[in-house]
Amino acid sequence: MSYRFRKFLKSKRKYTNAVQNAGPAEELYTSLDSNLSKIKQRTGNSSDIVIREMTTAQENKQIGVIFVEGIVDNRTIHDFLLESLMDDPAIETEGTERDVLETIAEKIVPLGEVTRVNNWKELYESLMSGLTIILVDGVMQGLSASTKGGERRSIQEPPTEISIRGPREGFTESLRTNTSLVRRRIKNPNLWVESLQLGEKTKTDVEIMYIEGIASEKNLNELRERLENINMDGILETGYIEELIEDQPSSPFPTIHFTERPDAVAGNLLEGRIAIFVDGTPFVLHVPSIFIQFFQSVDDYYSRAYIASSLRFMRIMVFLISLYAPATYVAATTFHQEMIPTQLLVVLSAQREAVPFPAVIEAFLMEITFEILREAGIRMPQAVGQTVSIVGALVIGQAAVQAGIVSPAMVIIVAITAIASFTTPSYSMAIAARLIRFGLMIVAASFGFYGLILSFIVIIAHLCSLRSFGIPYMAPLAPFIPADFGDSVIRLPRWGDKERPRLFTTKNEREGSGQKPTPPETRNIKKQQMKKGDLNDD
Amino acid sequence: MMIKGLLCFFSMLLSISILSGCWSNQELPDLALVSAIGIDLSEDGEFVNTIQVINPGNVAGEGIQNTGGSESPPVSTYTEHGYNMTEAQRRISKKVSRELYYAHTNLLVIGEKLAEERGIQEIFDALERDNEFRTTTKVVVAQDAKAEEIIKTLTSIDKIPANKVIKTLRSTERIWGENINLETRGLLQKLISPGTSPVISCFRAPGDEEKGEAIEGIQETQPPFRLQASGLALFKDGKLIHTVNGDTSKGILWVLDKIKETGVSLDWKQNKEAIVYEVIRQKTSVSAQVKNNQPKISVEVSAEGDIGETAVPIDLRKPHVLKDLEGLVEKEIKENLLSSIKKTQELQTDVLGFGEAVHRADSEAWKEMKENWNDEYFPEVEVDVKVHAFIRRTGLRNKPFLMDF
Repeated sequence: MSYRFRKFLKSKRKYTNAVQNAGPAEELYTSLDSNLSKIKQRTGNSSDIVIREMTTAQENKQIGVIFVEGIVDNRTIHDFLLESLMDDPAIETEGTERDVLETIAEKIVPLGEVTRVNNWKELYESLMSGLTIILVDGVMQGLSASTKGGERRSIQEPPTEISIRGPREGFTESLRTNTSLVRRRIKNPNLWVESLQLGEKTKTDVEIMYIEGIASEKNLNELRERLENINMDGILETGYIEELIEDQPSSPFPTIHFTERPDAVAGNLLEGRIAIFVDGTPFVLHVPSIFIQFFQSVDDYYSRAYIASSLRFMRIMVFLISLYAPATYVAATTFHQEMIPTQLLVVLSAQREAVPFPAVIEAFLMEITFEILREAGIRMPQAVGQTVSIVGALVIGQAAVQAGIVSPAMVIIVAITAIASFTTPSYSMAIAARLIRFGLMIVAASFGFYGLILSFIVIIAHLCSLRSFGIPYMAPLAPFIPADFGDSVIRLPRWGDKERPRLFTTKNEREGSGQKPTPPETRNIKKQQMKKGDLNDD
Repeated sequence: MMIKGLLCFFSMLLSISILSGCWSNQELPDLALVSAIGIDLSEDGEFVNTIQVINPGNVAGEGIQNTGGSESPPVSTYTEHGYNMTEAQRRISKKVSRELYYAHTNLLVIGEKLAEERGIQEIFDALERDNEFRTTTKVVVAQDAKAEEIIKTLTSIDKIPANKVIKTLRSTERIWGENINLETRGLLQKLISPGTSPVISCFRAPGDEEKGEAIEGIQETQPPFRLQASGLALFKDGKLIHTVNGDTSKGILWVLDKIKETGVSLDWKQNKEAIVYEVIRQKTSVSAQVKNNQPKISVEVSAEGDIGETAVPIDLRKPHVLKDLEGLVEKEIKENLLSSIKKTQELQTDVLGFGEAVHRADSEAWKEMKENWNDEYFPEVEVDVKVHAFIRRTGLRNKPFLMDF
């Protein structure tokens, strides 16, 4: 181990200690003033922290109300908290400390969730997550009232996963909204949610959701363990968690699937998977994931089985095209000219005649140009997006060919590859193909089809070696589980696919038998005795 | 540990890209695509190889910039000589700027002189041994010409002359049945088999040879020369001995079961060749019997077809008329076959594969006959031809409109 690496480890250890020492359970002060000034000092007098001091009419009790503006619902605070506290005469109590808070919690504040705050750590956590803190002078404890709210994006159609048929709802950045969207779809007390906070600094709410009795306990324990091991200062998106809990971090292939559609999450929960919600992002992870899942779109489950199956099959074929099309072209035109039909070869040869580069350089040139365009298209403000597409179409399509820098056939290959890479429903899988494609092009240029076949074997072997939470990535193909084929490359009709995938769940049956619809007995048409000549009267 | 692994990985990557690979890498513009090879015999007994190299820009160049228009011809030809095939072919490289690539050579033309005087066995070893040359390459014989002349001739519709020859063979074999679309591998099989001899289609380039090479020639609707399939060349012991045409070649192909569609003209009463029977499918089987060391061959043809044309007023609705016609067809075909068989017997070369039939029927007897089959047994062999013809349809109408006159 090198010196630098050891040093890195050391620094990490130090950091961990610092984080743990940060919050000893220090008690609150008795005096309201000192409490408030401590809060002010701790938050650096931040302008969005509102401290409201008031005095009750009857007993002259000093009460402090503290909340963070913007992440609380102003109306709730005003209507149910401030008004009740100021108007209510019933605070007069016998004088014991606890009773003041209890009275407030039980009789005065009509809010859903009011809990006791015992120390500074709890106080800050509650305050920062949108709760309102109520402190009373002379009491060493406080109350936190649930007033979460503030401006949030409304529920919209998910922009990255469009479906033709199916719900138009997508997740938002609010964790609670997201879980509610799923709970609306699975109205069952067995839909369990566990929550934890991750990120020493960000204190991000993370929740895992599963259906008790369907999700396997082994996977759950594994996931809990991996989540608990996360020790970071901040979790801002599911991507952070994905990178920290995946099985094989060095693989280009994603082993954890994500979606922003509540119906997709519901479907996955019903198959025994576990969903991971992270506050502040519309994406939801679900584990374990298998390879074939990245080619399943929600539309598959809403359209008829034959169509869904053929589309899914096509997507996998097209994925192979997006991986192999430029590599195959390069290999065929530089090594295996005998495999190209004569007429086609003559045409290709005529096109390549004026091109100054070898085929592989030409392919790289075009692929890189396309990647630049694609990246620019994503990063561009939408208003100028048009310009990019026009310039791109001209540069790639026309000018490059006319200038004799690339051949028209190469433009076709790059275009097919580009379009093909957009058919993969999962962005993370498509982007993996983008990366591997360049490697394959190099292999094709140095070894021809021999290299391509070898690379194919390597890719397959790698895929078979992957695991997602211990589940083989290529299941049900490898290991071969015929019973799970109902929803893999093909999708059987609902009545033919009676079992949940065996690997994820403990309970397999998912529907009753005899679900296949049949036409009813002939009604209203009496069977007649036909006589000779009845049908052909002429 | 990790750094070691990475180092290992990168050194592997580096070595595979430097040490191996790329050696058989050829870019398309570095290849000269040979579409056809012609082989002749020179006066001093050398092989003369002529190759036809496709000029891609002139075949598919329209619409692509910087590749030249159709001013120059779609192919160029190069000729060299040598005492063996390899020498002759390799020597061509002195004249061509690119590496000759034979994987797309679809046509092999054998000069008449070579076929007649030296035989064709010698040329195939080099071709078959080569890893680029395909055994599916079609073979023709240049009739009344050197192979070089066929190779050099430009054609009008199919820009690549080799393609024109191949396509002509393919279509005429299917539609008319006087020529055979023969691949190298089929030819080789027949060359080495003692029980049969090869037949190869002939191609001619009638007209002014000089004009055939000029691009101006194909700018006319009727070029002064035109590549066309002619008869069948019959071989014996690898040498061309005779060329047959017309019905004789059709009869030979019929026995070889190569006929797919063709027309059979029938005489009706006094009207010569007044009715045409169009064969749409047929099956011919050759079988042999050996009795008392005397082979006997029977050829059975069952043909199915339509009436294609009637120049006489006959009522095709009447079953007995069709019956009569079927009888006429059978007779006509039988006569055709018998005369063709007779012709080959006169030439003493078993291109019909009767020897193989005998071999199949009685391998013991064949062993004795094998040596002298062509000269002794084949010319004397008794052949029985049975034809069964059937009229499936009469085209779109029954009664010819001639009946209403």
